[in-house]
Amino acid sequence: MIYPEPRYLPGGDRYMLVEFGNEMNLELNFMAQGLAAAILEARIAGVIETAPCFASMLVHYEPEIISFDDLRAELSRLVAGLGPSDALELESRLFYLPAVYLDPWTRACVEDYQAKIAPKTADWDYMVELNGLRDTDDFVRVHSGTEYWVASLGFWPGLPFMMALDPRAKMTAPKYNPPRTWTPGGAIGLGGASTAIYPEQLPGGYQIFARTPVPIWDRAQRFAAFAGSICLFRPGDRVRFVPCSVEEFETIEREVADGTYQYNMVGYGKFSVALYKAWTASLGARRTS
Amino acid sequence: MTLEIIKPGLETSVQDWPGRYGFWNQGFPPSGPMDSWSFRLANLLVGNVVGAPALECQYIGPTLRFGAETVFAVTGADMLPTLDGAPVPLWQSVTAQPGQVLAMSFAKLGARAYLALAGGIDVEPWLGSRATFHKAGIGGVGGHALKPGQQVPLGVPAATAKAGLIVEEAARPVISTDRRWEIEVVAGPNDDWIDGEGHARFLSADWKLSGKSDRTGFRLDGPDWTFTEKALHKAPEHGSLPSNIIDQGYPLGAINLAGQTPIILVNDGPSMGGFINPYTVPQAAFWKLGQSKPGETYRFKAVSVAESQAMARSLAALCTDASILGSIV
Repeated sequence: MIYPEPRYLPGGDRYMLVEFGNEMNLELNFMAQGLAAAILEARIAGVIETAPCFASMLVHYEPEIISFDDLRAELSRLVAGLGPSDALELESRLFYLPAVYLDPWTRACVEDYQAKIAPKTADWDYMVELNGLRDTDDFVRVHSGTEYWVASLGFWPGLPFMMALDPRAKMTAPKYNPPRTWTPGGAIGLGGASTAIYPEQLPGGYQIFARTPVPIWDRAQRFAAFAGSICLFRPGDRVRFVPCSVEEFETIEREVADGTYQYNMVGYGKFSVALYKAWTASLGARRTS
Repeated sequence: MTLEIIKPGLETSVQDWPGRYGFWNQGFPPSGPMDSWSFRLANLLVGNVVGAPALECQYIGPTLRFGAETVFAVTGADMLPTLDGAPVPLWQSVTAQPGQVLAMSFAKLGARAYLALAGGIDVEPWLGSRATFHKAGIGGVGGHALKPGQQVPLGVPAATAKAGLIVEEAARPVISTDRRWEIEVVAGPNDDWIDGEGHARFLSADWKLSGKSDRTGFRLDGPDWTFTEKALHKAPEHGSLPSNIIDQGYPLGAINLAGQTPIILVNDGPSMGGFINPYTVPQAAFWKLGQSKPGETYRFKAVSVAESQAMARSLAALCTDASILGSIV
């Protein structure tokens, strides 16, 4: 549900978590992004930074400048002034990322986990089973058949937390228990209802089933698509995974290594929340909630 | 002016304070010193601003050679520092002559020593900070902990930098000698996912700091947690474990419950993820985390938000020139 009033929860002496609801839907992310933008605009003294996520936003503040109670009052004033999200039109770049589904690298990682840490159903079979799909081909079609909305970046520099924009492609899965100690860099995974790309070899908890050769963060600033940032994505970007073969993966990997890879990004689109809502309403979509 | 790294120690890194603020929404942690109390005092001893870049030395300190006459100070853990073989007092500024060698060994007391150098460490800032986030290879010297043979460039010292300044006894952190620590915690943000017994158990149990701990997280071994209905019955997008929640922003210091294992998210920790945070360690208690070693025992003590903020205020008041005594004889 979306709470009638956000909850303002303390995180130690200098953080506040603003929780807008307890489900994953785009509306909640718009609220979190909208509040983050409103905070920037309002230049509230004592707010150091914010980190909006799917259904909540973390605020880092300096308690010597603004108290918890004053911050809560300021934020609740800004929330009241946010207005309906239907009016939002956001700059939204669309990235096409090549990805090998059911690839040998995530397969090796899952087998390593099964052998050394805990028995489990292979991640792609588990996704089929949990989401009532026919087989892994069906899973690949569904997962690659939607645009993803970059709701936030976090966990690791540049890691995108994404939601399927097409409600017919919404899938869910539990996270690993215990978590993996390693995940191949570029692995694509799903946990809860969120899809993520691991920027490099990292521990992780999402079910994994594909891998992209395209870097999503770039310390050395070698690629123009990063537009001066270390991270490829910004919240509000969209991503589409384009299934490719292992041979294509290796070709792209070489182009990345020698700096000649051209990112496939289209930057002419705006994302209209009103049009999006009208479209999803027209689908009569199947939803899991 | 440079420092030549002869032996780097176990994990010696450039840090500044408060570190890399402002990029949590892209996933960049602040990094910075684990024990910012000792760190700030080390800088004051050598005439730097409290946040100037200095070295954090974890468990085993470095051996290094001074390229020029340099005022330095060592604070925090006692790694039995020597200058050309002669013992160097902690909590005091000292002048090294060109060519002299500062050697530090295993931490006899505490876990992290801080070595501040007059003028600070002159490396390029990354996103506004010189703090090393070595798991991602950014900041500090080449993005990583120091390596043998590196020349670490130093900045220009303040005219006031001199030997013989000392931190008054009452302003120094008292490092536990019995391997037990009382750590303050504030309930929240996700405290309502834990039931009454779970809270009572957390606050009364001994928690052992696991060896699988580093600057991203401190893992704790202890009893299991129990949960409220909210954690047990929820929409599938949260994930199926009681401790799973829709991915959310993490406060630094969060006690992050991954399954049944609490992990305190520290300076290089993740900014977001899908586990609940029933408690948060406030900033003013971080120095205790920084000075504890794996195998040591934590007990947690609940404090209010206001109390935790008062702690930070008291700590900031200690980390000023008022705590530095003038020339000693």
